[in-house]
Amino acid sequence: MPIVQLNHIRKVYDTKVAVADLSFTIELGTMFGLLGPNGSGKTSSIRMMIGITVPDSGSVSLFDRPFTRKVLARVGYLPEERGLYKKMNVLDQLVFLGQLHGLSASVATARARRWCERLHIAEAIPKKTEDLSKGMQQKIQFIATLLHEPDLILMDEPFSGLDPVNAVLLMDTLAELRREGKAILFSTHRMDQVEKLCDNIALLHRGQLILSGSMREIKSSYSRNRVLIHFEGDDSFLRHPSIESHKLYNGNVEIKLRASATLAEDAQSLLAQAIRHARITRFEVMEPTLEEIFIEKVQETLPIKNGRELSMAMLDQPNGGALDA
Amino acid sequence: MHNVWLIARREYIERIRTRGFLISTIMIPLVMGGLIYGSAFLGSRTGPGTHIAVVSSDTQLVMDLQAALQQPSTHRSQPRSARQPPIAVDAMDVAPQNAQATREILNQELDSGDLDGYLWITPAAASPANVQPARPTFTFTPRSNNQDALRNTLAAALGSVLMREHIEHRGIVASEADTMLQPVTILATRPPHREDSRSAEVSVGILFFLMYFVIVLYGMNVARSIIEEKTSRIFEVMLATIRPQEMMAGKILGVGSVGLTQVGIWLAAALLVSRSSMALVPGGQSLHLDLTAAQIVYFFLYFILGYAFYSSIAAALGAMTNSEQELQQLNMFLFLPLIVCFATLMSILPSPDSSLARALALFPPFTPLLMYLRVCLGHPSVWEIALSIALTSASIYAVVLIASRIYRIGVLMYGKRPNLREILRWLKYS
Repeated sequence: MPIVQLNHIRKVYDTKVAVADLSFTIELGTMFGLLGPNGSGKTSSIRMMIGITVPDSGSVSLFDRPFTRKVLARVGYLPEERGLYKKMNVLDQLVFLGQLHGLSASVATARARRWCERLHIAEAIPKKTEDLSKGMQQKIQFIATLLHEPDLILMDEPFSGLDPVNAVLLMDTLAELRREGKAILFSTHRMDQVEKLCDNIALLHRGQLILSGSMREIKSSYSRNRVLIHFEGDDSFLRHPSIESHKLYNGNVEIKLRASATLAEDAQSLLAQAIRHARITRFEVMEPTLEEIFIEKVQETLPIKNGRELSMAMLDQPNGGALDA
Repeated sequence: MHNVWLIARREYIERIRTRGFLISTIMIPLVMGGLIYGSAFLGSRTGPGTHIAVVSSDTQLVMDLQAALQQPSTHRSQPRSARQPPIAVDAMDVAPQNAQATREILNQELDSGDLDGYLWITPAAASPANVQPARPTFTFTPRSNNQDALRNTLAAALGSVLMREHIEHRGIVASEADTMLQPVTILATRPPHREDSRSAEVSVGILFFLMYFVIVLYGMNVARSIIEEKTSRIFEVMLATIRPQEMMAGKILGVGSVGLTQVGIWLAAALLVSRSSMALVPGGQSLHLDLTAAQIVYFFLYFILGYAFYSSIAAALGAMTNSEQELQQLNMFLFLPLIVCFATLMSILPSPDSSLARALALFPPFTPLLMYLRVCLGHPSVWEIALSIALTSASIYAVVLIASRIYRIGVLMYGKRPNLREILRWLKYS
């Protein structure tokens, strides 16, 4: 049973097409990644999923039924623009938001305490929200989204602004919720996060869906033409004929091999040449990263210039290492 | 409905708990009471220890004047409210040739603050004994320009002194003259079916201002609270579970209940105080809060209607703007009807049952204030009251509907303030 089903939804603000003809489904017990650079229509899509805005055309079904506001009690939504009542104390705030989702005060109180302990912020419970650090506020918001134990969890950029330790904590929590059978959608412009977490993805660009499907299938449909080498010494092996392009960083290089029927052999011959000149500490052959796939896809559908701008913008993300911690 | 209740309750509790609420609940009546009390106090007296000099060669006249000014309460036909502390009078005789020197000394004393003024009495030119004696000339030189009260007191005292002198001159005994000069007192009784009308008018006036003040204050609070919601961006979390209408209704109810609580506290305190002797202003006039139960019921009824009407307008204004500065530019939409309403007061107060008053009181933006006034001071018929309530309720519903649409779209669009055309387009969105 699909938890979310979008059928050709479309939303236009004035002259700007926010979302053009978007369709996908999310199944129970899966994690879905909605990807795309800033302004690609991720937030607009999520808002239409839960009736904050209404699509101009197309239809939304939640829990296998046409959208009604009743199902919102089973949905947890964490908006990208975080917001809490600053003057309110944390427990009151969580209980209030829980009650809005239909919980009783006592249940909400008990769950709020349990969650705060689970996310290591029990000491924040009696404090005012404005006295908390930003990371803590974000955790409070995270808890507020989950307090009513929703079956569908929608998170818009859930990890932005979190330090690596907390990002991993939240990611682990989401993974646990998926194991419990919840459906989770999160949007991000950071592709590296998605590769580890998501079962299915949808790639948006300027309101257009340019790629969607299962993570594994998408990845395996691409040949293993990427080579990562960590080395010390001479880098003259980079002139090897099978290399189409490479990016050389301090002591490591990301190589894209020329398309050919014998990719595996090409990689081995490259390794052989590298060993002759340099000391190799790491060698890995792999599929292109999601980010590379995304850039490629965008370049297919649009003039190259735009694609390059895009790749610059996406590589230029701050605290890119948050997830590798 | 449950959501509206939750939002209203949160808004209410959070606001009641703030220090601002406590301070304004205590301070506003204190300041207002202080102003009334203070102005009555100041207006009723020429100031403590007033000290004047009287320059005259007629010692009898000066002595009588001295007596009149020093025991003012037993002697003068002034209303109680104008009772004054005794005025110390220095008598000075002066020979005409020394006039200039005397004046200079007196002027110096004025400058140094020893004297508050001096009265120069120039005797009238001598006239034949048969003819009525001409009055002397009185010149009063005050220390500062704003001594009208003192000058009036002097004039009154002089008047009665001269009259007494005149009467005694005609051979009437002093005690008889006293009786003749006794001021007449009219004992006021209430009109048969009305409360003491003057006191009632004052009370209604106080409530009228209170209503105006609280509606403006709490209307602005609703707008501010919505802007706060926008800047803290919490509305998007809220909109995931509740409708914008519910959110707005909850806010209006919550903030409004805070206003009602505050007014309730003020009214209760005012009624308590006016039952006790503390309501006596030093001038002697009592500030009685003279209200019938019906007036209080109507007050809350029309207060709620007025508040609901103006706060939903304020909510719409809040939804259109992104900051308080922007809100201030739109404030006039809130204040203008109220100010117009105030302006019509002059023509409505004297005749609360005129056709103009009846028509204006049915116009929803004016209804709360003007209909309340008519209920208290005029004789509106039952159907007029019912119609005014119905019309206002209907327009509140319309305003809430429009405001919640503006709100729903306004909160999701950040950035520049929308122009009128855009707002009209928003209204068309479902």
